[in-house]
Amino acid sequence: MLTALRSRTSSLLRDQSWKLSLSDPNRIFTSSPFFSSTAGAYDVSEVLTLPEVEKILADVKADNVTVIPTHNHCFWADNMVVATGRSDWHLRNIAQALVYRTKQKQKGAKHIMLPSVQGYNSKWIVIDYGKFVVHALDEKARGYFNLESLWTAETSATDSSDHQDLQNAFVKVRPKNNSKRKPAKVSL
Amino acid sequence: MIQPQTYLNVADNSGARKLMCIRIIGASNRRYAHIGDVIVAVIKEAIPNTPLERSEVIRAVIVRTCKELKRNNGTIIRYDDNAAVVIDQEGNPKGTRVFGAIPRELRQLNFTKIVSLAPEVL
Repeated sequence: MLTALRSRTSSLLRDQSWKLSLSDPNRIFTSSPFFSSTAGAYDVSEVLTLPEVEKILADVKADNVTVIPTHNHCFWADNMVVATGRSDWHLRNIAQALVYRTKQKQKGAKHIMLPSVQGYNSKWIVIDYGKFVVHALDEKARGYFNLESLWTAETSATDSSDHQDLQNAFVKVRPKNNSKRKPAKVSL
Repeated sequence: MIQPQTYLNVADNSGARKLMCIRIIGASNRRYAHIGDVIVAVIKEAIPNTPLERSEVIRAVIVRTCKELKRNNGTIIRYDDNAAVVIDQEGNPKGTRVFGAIPRELRQLNFTKIVSLAPEVL
């Protein structure tokens, strides 16, 4: 168990440096100099920018590509790209094309950074570039998960109510002490 | 620290309500599972008329634990409950939405799908 833990922490150390930096800058732990200084070196999204990814998706004929800015909804990514593939093969080709293009762009570099691809043999492939995430889905899976509604519909209304609750919680309210009230006043 | 016989809440809308861990996936004879680990679990309680039923064996990812999670920068995260998200063999979530706050470590452990369905990432 110890070795497992150790390997886990080491992998976290390696990956966290750039992934943590993606979050809200107001949070304490991201503003630490250690994370912010190494942030640029590990960012795959600097290799391949969003317009380039859109062009690749158009080249491999992914249907219905939508880019959703998610600044308000989540702190861990700036943009979500959702694309539909016609078949399992097509989905796999979309993922392969994105990885291949990233590789090609870094030819000759000392360290080649690749996006992490998850769910390679399933109906939903996620290609994680750090600052933006590409979701390639099957037609049915896209209808089922309905990712667009998740990231567009919810506005910060819930957040503001939360803030109000918090502010109300901090307001000092002096408790009324009825026990010491003079009985004479009541009779009047 | 999730071990066999631990009861977990379900943090998604898959239809299950309570799970019981029966096995931890990873090494043989592994004692405890932590956040981001995959377990085999039995559904102990389910919402009626949903695809998942009671006493069904499923896989789940642990997303919240009462045992604190330490980060390298000194942050400690501790939740009030043990909770898991039901997944299939390929790692796709069974439900379409995840509830509650979820640690960002899941993204590094290749569960970006779960993170992207969650309303809040710590």
